[in-house]
Amino acid sequence: MTGGLLLQAVVSGLLLGGVYGLVASGLSLIFGVLRIINFAHGAVMMLAMYTTYWLFALAGVDPYLSVILTAPLFFALGVVIQKVVIEPNRSAAEHNQLLLTLGLALFFENLALVLWQGDFRTVRVAYSNASFMIGEALVEVPRLVASGGAVLMAVGLFAFLRLTDVGKALRALAEEPEGAALVGINVARIRAAAFGLGSACVAVAGALITPFFYVAPDVAESFNIMAFVVVVLGGMGNFMGALAGGFIVGLAESLGAAFLPGSLKQLVVFMIFVLVLLFRPQGLFGGSRDR
Amino acid sequence: MSEHTRGLSGGPVSRRTFLSTAGLTTAGAAATVAGFPAIVRAQTREVKVGYLLPVTGPLAYEAGLALNGLALAVDEINASGGIKSLGGAKITMMPGDTQNKVELGNSEASRLIDQGAVAIIGPFSSLVAFSVRQVTEKNKTPFLLLAAVADNLTEGGLKYIFRMQPNGRGMATLTVNNMFEMAKNANVPIKRVAMMHEDGNFGTTMGNHVEAFSKTMGYELVQRIPYNLRSPDLTSELSKVKAARPDLLIVSGYYGDSKLIAETAAKLRIGVSALVGLANAAYSNPKFIAENRELTEHLFDGNYWYNPQSARARAVFAAYQKKFGSTMANHGVQGYQVTFVLKDALERAASTDRDKIRDAIAKTNLSDQILTQDAIRFDDSGEGINATPALIQVQNGKPVVVGPARFAEAKPVFPVPKWKG
Repeated sequence: MTGGLLLQAVVSGLLLGGVYGLVASGLSLIFGVLRIINFAHGAVMMLAMYTTYWLFALAGVDPYLSVILTAPLFFALGVVIQKVVIEPNRSAAEHNQLLLTLGLALFFENLALVLWQGDFRTVRVAYSNASFMIGEALVEVPRLVASGGAVLMAVGLFAFLRLTDVGKALRALAEEPEGAALVGINVARIRAAAFGLGSACVAVAGALITPFFYVAPDVAESFNIMAFVVVVLGGMGNFMGALAGGFIVGLAESLGAAFLPGSLKQLVVFMIFVLVLLFRPQGLFGGSRDR
Repeated sequence: MSEHTRGLSGGPVSRRTFLSTAGLTTAGAAATVAGFPAIVRAQTREVKVGYLLPVTGPLAYEAGLALNGLALAVDEINASGGIKSLGGAKITMMPGDTQNKVELGNSEASRLIDQGAVAIIGPFSSLVAFSVRQVTEKNKTPFLLLAAVADNLTEGGLKYIFRMQPNGRGMATLTVNNMFEMAKNANVPIKRVAMMHEDGNFGTTMGNHVEAFSKTMGYELVQRIPYNLRSPDLTSELSKVKAARPDLLIVSGYYGDSKLIAETAAKLRIGVSALVGLANAAYSNPKFIAENRELTEHLFDGNYWYNPQSARARAVFAAYQKKFGSTMANHGVQGYQVTFVLKDALERAASTDRDKIRDAIAKTNLSDQILTQDAIRFDDSGEGINATPALIQVQNGKPVVVGPARFAEAKPVFPVPKWKG
């Protein structure tokens, strides 16, 4: 195969991988602190995408600028979800919590269907179709922004967890929930903060994806499964790992698409997924509780 | 015309309608008491028809369009006096949601039949249809396929399944035929063809036919790429297509994926004579076109369509526009027409007996129809004998029929300069 194709595959893979990492980082954070697999993550992203869409359609707010509004809004939504839905069921069996988030996802998706129908909507901004070439490889600007946003967000989260008190409390809770409670951390509040932060992250992801993708009630399905794969790959609760995992999955998918026949590209990704679970269940980069 | 539009307002039952129907019931009851035999009128007040569509889930948008067509037809039928041979019985549509899932298709079909549906229209996806046809066959219930194109649906000597529209083979070969005829007229030979299709039953069927048809037509299929409907990026796939230097890129897909392909192909300057949809859910879709004017101009699509030469089709088109505020397209056309195939059969069967309706459908010879084809008739397996797709091209932001010639409303633009790059 030609070098041009290889270059294109690598570039597309990195851009796509960044998007996966972006979606996965909030998921990873929520898992790390709360120990729940949040199936509603994708649905929350979908709601954020609709919020971005409506802010643009009704008030002309640029999707990137709308982050200033959507991030706090979805932080609040996350806090509410945690306080109202998840927290009261903390002592319930794990599969109940799992089903709870699944139910929440179905609720959000069908709510969106009722409110906005199954219509595909797109945000058309001047830069939606902006692109440039690196050699023979096409680089789409909105995808590049999303990918860059993923890196920035991961760095920002990392700094937040290292440098702030809330961040330290979050890490303490992730490491040792009982110990955290014993040293006087308000664990219920921190759990709410974790869910809020995770939701805010995925809201940012949604806003960054909107300029180059469509918005529909089931849009999350394009990213959801990959986000889970990425989280497992990077190590549950390790969002730097999630970012790296995102790039790995994106590259695997893109190279698979370029050099393997048919729809084998998905096979490559899920094969890596199964292999990691078999031989390195804590993830390539270790989980938050890697002991 | 007034009768025509009156039924399309779709409002709630007016007081007058209510009173007159109530009166009729009383009259019927009185007739029974008096021992009159002619009480058919009062007995058959409605004919229940079930639809099975993925109204929620990934195909919700497309299903909604088909549903509009169904609703339009039912309103028109009921407003103009229902099924006359059944004493003016009104058609009641009973909803069934498959969510595009096989298991739900089966259970919803069973439920609809239990609740008295005399026929089932649906279910969009070929995969679901393949499973549902066993339920309808077992229950001896006519099953009118909508949108589903996979060839194998009518195989196996089934009695109760009917497909008005072209199957996969007809869709693919007739569309490729139409394209080649056009290319010949334009003196632009097509030698190398690339195909991208979603990897479900629908896309794969189309891919198989385009591949198999290459020998007959003498073209080389230089790339055939199945892809997952949910892929968030198809740049690598399209780079592969570009590297193979095809004259034509054929795309069989649903809405979001087809959009992604057209967008990426444009950015990559793919360099083909035309980008052609094959039973594509986006490329002749008025909404897609309206939202992507520049991208969609001069896209082709081989699809079900209404006949622009038919006065009735134009009236239906206008009625759809009025009722739903959007442009009628392939799925709406089918939903509308398939309901009238059933209506025609009900009139001739003069019964709600499922077997009699089935026999009436089998004998259909309906020339008062809105499709780009001759009279609707069925062969022994239940396939539409005259089923033909139209070749559609987007011109000035409107999907127009450019082939076959006798239905065409405009001349095709081919080769397309912008795709040639």
